[in-house]
Amino acid sequence: MTQVPDDHQPRDGGRDAAERASLAEAWRTPTGWRYVSAVNNSHVGKWYILAAFGFFTFAGLLALLIRTQLAVPENDLLSMELYNQVFTLHGTAMMFLFAVPIFEAVAILILPEMLGSRDLPFPRLSAFGFWCFVIGGVFVCGSIFWNAAPSGGWFMYPPLSSDPEQTGIGTDIWLLGLSFIEVASIAAAIELIVGVLKCRPPGMRLNLMPLYCWYVLVVAGMILFAFPPLIAGDLLLEMERAFGWAFFDADRGGDPLLWQHLFWIFGHPEVYIIFLPSIALIATILPAMTRSPVVGHSWVILSAIGVAFLSFGLWVHHMFTTGLPNISLGFFSAASEAVAIPTGIQIFCFIATLLVGRASLNAPMLFAGGALAIFVFGGLTGVMVAIVPFDFQAHDSYFVVAHLHYTLIGGMLFPIFAGVYYWYPFATGHMLSERLGRWAFWLMFAGFNIAFLPMHWTGVLGMPRRVWTYAADMGWNELNLVSSAGAYILAAGFVVFAFDVLRPKGRTPTAPADPWKAATLEWAREGPGSPWGIRSVPEITTRYPLWQQPGLKDEILRGAWYLSDAKDGRREMMVTDILDARPMFVQRIPGPGFVTIFAAGFLGAAFIFATYHWWLAAAAALAAFVATVLYWLWTGTGGIPQTPRRDCGRGLELPLYASGAGSAGWWAMFITMIGDTTAFVGLVFAYAFFWTVHGSFPPPGTTPPDPLPASGGALLIAAAWALMMAARGLNAAGRRGAGAALLLVPVAAVAGAAALAFAAFRAGLDPTRHAFDATIWVLILWICAHVAAGILMPLYCLARFRAGHMDATHDAELRNSVLFWTFLLVQTGVTWALIALAPLIPSGAS
Amino acid sequence: MTYPRLIDDGSVWIVVIPPVIWAAHFLTCYWVAAVWCASGAAPLTPVVWAIAAITVAALGGIGWAAVVAVRRYGGLRRPGRHVSRDEPEGRKAFLGHVALLLASLNGVAVLFTALPVLVFRQC
Amino acid sequence: MPPQPRPLGGQSPPVEQAPACGVDPAKLCQGEYAIRVKSHIAVLAAPLLTGCGGRHSWLAGAGAEARIIETLFWPFLFGAAVLWLAVMALAIAAFRSRREETRGLVRAIIIGGGAIVPGIIVAALLVIGLVTLRALAAMQPGLSVQVDGEQWWWRVVYDTPAGAVVTANEIRLPRGETAELLLSSDDVIHAFWAPALGGKMDMIPGRTNRLTLTPLTPGSWGGLCAEYCGGAHAQMRFDVTVMEPAAFGDWLAAEAEPASAQALARQDGLSVFLDSGCGACHSVRGTEAAGQVGPDLTHFAARQRLGAGIAPLTDAALRRWITRTQDMKPGVEMPAYPDLSPEALDALVGFLMALK
Repeated sequence: MTQVPDDHQPRDGGRDAAERASLAEAWRTPTGWRYVSAVNNSHVGKWYILAAFGFFTFAGLLALLIRTQLAVPENDLLSMELYNQVFTLHGTAMMFLFAVPIFEAVAILILPEMLGSRDLPFPRLSAFGFWCFVIGGVFVCGSIFWNAAPSGGWFMYPPLSSDPEQTGIGTDIWLLGLSFIEVASIAAAIELIVGVLKCRPPGMRLNLMPLYCWYVLVVAGMILFAFPPLIAGDLLLEMERAFGWAFFDADRGGDPLLWQHLFWIFGHPEVYIIFLPSIALIATILPAMTRSPVVGHSWVILSAIGVAFLSFGLWVHHMFTTGLPNISLGFFSAASEAVAIPTGIQIFCFIATLLVGRASLNAPMLFAGGALAIFVFGGLTGVMVAIVPFDFQAHDSYFVVAHLHYTLIGGMLFPIFAGVYYWYPFATGHMLSERLGRWAFWLMFAGFNIAFLPMHWTGVLGMPRRVWTYAADMGWNELNLVSSAGAYILAAGFVVFAFDVLRPKGRTPTAPADPWKAATLEWAREGPGSPWGIRSVPEITTRYPLWQQPGLKDEILRGAWYLSDAKDGRREMMVTDILDARPMFVQRIPGPGFVTIFAAGFLGAAFIFATYHWWLAAAAALAAFVATVLYWLWTGTGGIPQTPRRDCGRGLELPLYASGAGSAGWWAMFITMIGDTTAFVGLVFAYAFFWTVHGSFPPPGTTPPDPLPASGGALLIAAAWALMMAARGLNAAGRRGAGAALLLVPVAAVAGAAALAFAAFRAGLDPTRHAFDATIWVLILWICAHVAAGILMPLYCLARFRAGHMDATHDAELRNSVLFWTFLLVQTGVTWALIALAPLIPSGAS
Repeated sequence: MTYPRLIDDGSVWIVVIPPVIWAAHFLTCYWVAAVWCASGAAPLTPVVWAIAAITVAALGGIGWAAVVAVRRYGGLRRPGRHVSRDEPEGRKAFLGHVALLLASLNGVAVLFTALPVLVFRQC
Repeated sequence: MPPQPRPLGGQSPPVEQAPACGVDPAKLCQGEYAIRVKSHIAVLAAPLLTGCGGRHSWLAGAGAEARIIETLFWPFLFGAAVLWLAVMALAIAAFRSRREETRGLVRAIIIGGGAIVPGIIVAALLVIGLVTLRALAAMQPGLSVQVDGEQWWWRVVYDTPAGAVVTANEIRLPRGETAELLLSSDDVIHAFWAPALGGKMDMIPGRTNRLTLTPLTPGSWGGLCAEYCGGAHAQMRFDVTVMEPAAFGDWLAAEAEPASAQALARQDGLSVFLDSGCGACHSVRGTEAAGQVGPDLTHFAARQRLGAGIAPLTDAALRRWITRTQDMKPGVEMPAYPDLSPEALDALVGFLMALK
């Protein structure tokens, strides 16, 4: 750390005012209709939260329809067809449009401030993600008003979902609409990971990082490994629906269970992706309310990381009744039980914190307590359904419906409400009403339990899930009526909450800047009207800086720390290293722009057109999207700065440019490609799965792809990678030839991709004939799509060099492109092994 | 830009090693059993031995990670103030402590995974 | 492996004579373990318990498998209640506590309460669960029944030495004998679930899954499709009738016979049936009707219910089914015949109701 005497003498007012003015100028929020072009996290975060709650309200209304329909037997309020759409959309919207996005929304709003950062490292990416989310969400939800909503259940099992005659366009809307939203989720996850790793304030070593940031890191990492398998599954299912490729059709060598594996490899971690961030909110609220640090800091981190990993070993517990061998069920039952241990540790750490601290029972604590009561109950029934024989009865019954709502509403929704009460003054400058908060809590808590506690028993009495009606003589009438009544009470509580949040607060007094006397840095930011967040970026030496570093808040607000102004009118943030948060460089970040909205719009259009099989329009929209992204990058902040270094105050001078492994962009590419490779692994899993279940894979009579062109194709793609490496090396050494190498990359790569496709084509592989053919083709298609993206990169770099935006030392784009190509090289190698070598190995089943 | 040694001071990899070993062990157990059972062979005896072997290997790996976490990172020094110290030593001890806890958890999880093998003799 | 079906603990399955749907709440739930527990809580939870002997209840204890699983249910329920109360009490006590010295307690709470106690509990549960699973897997079947899920009904084929016996939507099983159900599907995924007898199992196209059921209590039990299978999933039900072995043997022999002479004597009804094209989808053995698309109707009237378990089989219900099929079961593949003349409908219903 820089050894510079502290700057404690009061600064003169003129300088302070000038610095503030420069910040206000650089971070000015566009007004009027241009407000939508804002990209700053304090705006995008709020929009994101509002949109997520909008979808929550929509999905909640669907839930009320469900409960109204089921209140009495043989009800005909909703038709069978509409009911099937309603419950599918309820689950889909709650999971994909509320539970995961709300995590990202809250993190986008509070993470930068908690890290003493002015913004996230890629503000336009957050805005892009938000617009994708809104477009995709409206598309998916709106379908119900045209009676075209998905009706295959939120887990969309084929062959019901793979047959366009059984499930109409709704399934395409589901598959493509959600894939589009998942892109947004992954974009936000990348942003948050880089945010936590690289944008911490100086001195915030890993051991001093707030628990919330640990959870964000862990959960964003989980998204990176959990969502891509679903995207792979979506790709396979849509290929089967649109083009008849054989992946899930048992008659053509496919297997419906493959989808279940891919879906639940996503679906179970997703439950924890939803749950952990909410626990993170409690881990942040609890110390503020109890006036005590969280007891067992390392233990809480242990449980977050432990849960994150174990949650990937649970997926088959959604498949206990699919007839897998008992020994396999045993493994997953074991992991499902084991995950209870870290979850328990987490909760007992909080109880221990309550013991050490002195808490009062205000609205956030009330919701946190309600969350504990509900979640522990759901956890206990979770331990039950993880026992295989018990699940033989409970599975797909209302017992499971009750269980999952106890875990999700207790583990996720109530903590979110606690968080809203807690951070509302942070976001708006006003407090929510304590009195209405109590009403909202007790209505929701009572309503929830009245609705869902009886459902356990409804399940015991044999009521299956997803039924639009039931006969009067089944013995389920009274329990269902009680549940429906409870649902309305729960909804009433939400109405009270929503009223309190949305009512105009012009006349209510402004909240103090730090109403809870909390310890984390977001309470040291300037008011909610200051989008730059923190006045100056402090150096952190403790876990609870505002408690344990006396005078720090005052120094921050006086502008006594780093980056207290905006040089050249540019938006800036400090990038630090991963381990000890040593300052590395100052990154310039972009301001408002419509390019993100256009990019999201074009990408959304591509997905939506594809839903309707308007392929040409979809291709045109995709091309427009690519062009928009190129424009976005070209006009971004990645150019060569006029001055190489910047004085950050207190004698700290940092570079304004970084490339390679130190830069935020390199990490973003690295993390993106980890996610991309995970999706690729999903396709490899499909191959391995078929290989295991089939007596002969490839099937008898099928010629595997010709190894010669396949190997030649792989070598050509490897050559393209080598050319990229050469270009980087030549450029860095200041030698000639880099441009020529970059020009040759597309030639080699396209030839390689063509040779791969030729290998399959020559063997006569027909993806509509058998799962083997389809799997080989989809792998080749994957590589071809990556080559298509990959050849844009050297051409873009070449243009940047020509335009003078890059040179021998300013080569971030080139280094990031090389990274992409390195991942593509690995994927090509695996694909080559699968198409040229694997068919030679005798397969699993006899 | 210097890259830290993979498992040593200045690396966070020690934290993920125990869970990664658990994951590898878990997937291998699942895969071995799935392939064996798909081939139609009912008695699990070879699977039992294979899983016993990889369980011993996994526990060995996790034990090694725990030893590294204690010896090289100082993960067993008293928790509390030490792991929250503002110096690289504090961060190191903190990572060691978390790694040690994760090693314990994942050791238990590996044992859990191996349990079904003791119960089932048929697919 | 024990040759006989045995619930946990090794005793032979007790055999009840009385049908389970009695009136005495204490007798409704037949599980041995449950009876003791339940008499204590019956007073507290009488409204809930009145249902536990229902035709679809897990706790009806009508089969050995259901009883094995039930041995888990009550300990789980009470264990969970105790644990939940303990955690809540601890949390409230911690919240209220104003203790100054908390170090030892904190350690006990995190390490003991958070790690060790839950670790031991879940390890014990895991072992119990695995051993129970092994007990379920050890059931040795005598009878083999093939059940195929169709949208939205059940095709049932008994594999007998004399050949295959085809029926639909009602499964009859002999008391005390373990039956092996071979479950599959030709269209989408369904799941076979007769909660009173045992757990559920999916029916997946391209796969054949195996489920054993060992009925112990004679009577009629309910079953349903548990996996969402599109459209009328809610109306995909069936009946399991548990019979004394001798009666079962007689029934199976009768079921193998072609349609009764009594029914075939109703020529006018049979001709309406054939002229309306019913035979394109339905089989009535002994007539030209040999369709394979819909349920076999050879002994239709011997069944208790109509339309895959959705209505009692009465004249009136059958008329409604024929004329307003889609009202009773939206999405069903069978077309309605609203234009049949009253006479033709009478004749058709008379014929069908004679297919005993």
